[in-house]
Amino acid sequence: MLWLWIVLAAVALLGIVLALGYNRLVRLRNEADTGWANIDVQLQRRADLIPNLVEAVRGYAAHERAVFDEVTKARAALQHASAPGAAAEANEGLTAALGRLFAVAEAYPELQASENFLQLQEDLTDTEDKISAARRYYNSTVMHLNTAIQSVPWLLIAKPFGFRAKEFFSAQGDTAPPQVSFSQAT
Amino acid sequence: MTLQQQIRSNRFRSGIVVVGFVLLLLLLAGLVGLALDYSLGAVALGVAIVYGVFALVRSRSLVARMTGARELGEADLKPLHRLVENVSIGAGLPVTPEVRIVDDQAPNAFAAGLRPKSSYIGVTTGLLRTMPKRELEAVLAHEVSHIRNRDTYLMTMAVVFAGVIALIADIGFRSLAYGGRSRRGGALVVILAVVGFILAPYAALLLRLSLSRRREFLADAGAAEILNDPEAMALALRRLELDATTVRYSDASTAHLWVESPTDRVDSEQRGVLALSGLFNTHPPLPDRIEALEEAGGFRLSEGLPAGEPFAAELGLV
Repeated sequence: MLWLWIVLAAVALLGIVLALGYNRLVRLRNEADTGWANIDVQLQRRADLIPNLVEAVRGYAAHERAVFDEVTKARAALQHASAPGAAAEANEGLTAALGRLFAVAEAYPELQASENFLQLQEDLTDTEDKISAARRYYNSTVMHLNTAIQSVPWLLIAKPFGFRAKEFFSAQGDTAPPQVSFSQAT
Repeated sequence: MTLQQQIRSNRFRSGIVVVGFVLLLLLLAGLVGLALDYSLGAVALGVAIVYGVFALVRSRSLVARMTGARELGEADLKPLHRLVENVSIGAGLPVTPEVRIVDDQAPNAFAAGLRPKSSYIGVTTGLLRTMPKRELEAVLAHEVSHIRNRDTYLMTMAVVFAGVIALIADIGFRSLAYGGRSRRGGALVVILAVVGFILAPYAALLLRLSLSRRREFLADAGAAEILNDPEAMALALRRLELDATTVRYSDASTAHLWVESPTDRVDSEQRGVLALSGLFNTHPPLPDRIEALEEAGGFRLSEGLPAGEPFAAELGLV
């Protein structure tokens, strides 16, 4: 009779451990999902600012068509990217394109002085700061999730229950959370 | 300790604090009842409970009144709002806390509120005038981590309960002193009651203070993590250390809320050699906090502070 109780106790204990581990992984995954949603919101906000910005510059420098095309393309690429790594890549691309747009804008003092342009520039800088804040949070949640999934004993339940490691939001596909901050495109 | 463990441990401690205070409360009411009159004990208990509930419900505005923090409109000090927004996003808070301003020359900041959703951060005008953006961000991140770790919740509970204990001890004490005729207990009970009434507020105070000191290290670490920049937090603390002004408004009851203890300097000057002072400090000494950050971040602050334009300039507040 005794061994039966021991087996039952062991099974119950194992069940509790499994349940706790499962809950922990669910929590970590939810945190990472929230973190990603935060980035997504800001990326969308950034993309939404672009058309107005392009219009503002076009009003003063209509012939700089190549730059506008480049920015518009980079924006479309950002909106189509869905995986974190690809989105980070596209976001960098947009930053580069915007850098060129602002370089063009330098040549037009009236544009530089226009209220609308200054406001857009400020909003853009703010959004970039927010993206980088959201990235720090997202990457730290991903690090916790990935560490949990890859270490014993959660390793054993992660696979069967379909928990997968997530991608960091970083352009070069490197694994460590990046320390770079967004350079201000002015 | 991970963040989730920290939050859970704070919830657990909050539970212990609640149970401890309830026991203390019952003990005091019992003493009032034994030494004087059962109905008086019941009345004191009732008054204390009503006061406690009222204080908890009103804690948000009570703290605002005690610290003199005023609300800001949507359009005021936009860059400051943005900074707080960024920090909360970095911390993964679901809602950005409101910012309030305390008109005071001393650089300091605090966080208050029972739930993360209804929390707010108070900063002094002095803080905006002394700190450059990078360090101000670190101070805000420190306060945001207090909110995220549910420290504000725990501390608000503790303050309110301490107030309740003080109130009931006061009732008991006064009734003993002035209501001589209604006294029913023997001499021993009365002595016991007097000792209890004298000691209870101190017990409550000690419990409250023991909660707040370790929390400061954790919030510093949290700020370093949120910004990925431990040096900024250390620099901000160094700047606070070098600044000699202390907050004018603040009294002991809100001391634990601030990023730097507003009462320490005054107290240590007044108390002089009193050895107990370490026990009654709400905050660990700034050099210790800086050292902890240096150790965690693997850097050393150089002697001087980097010169930076205070954030107030960006806000147009000079």
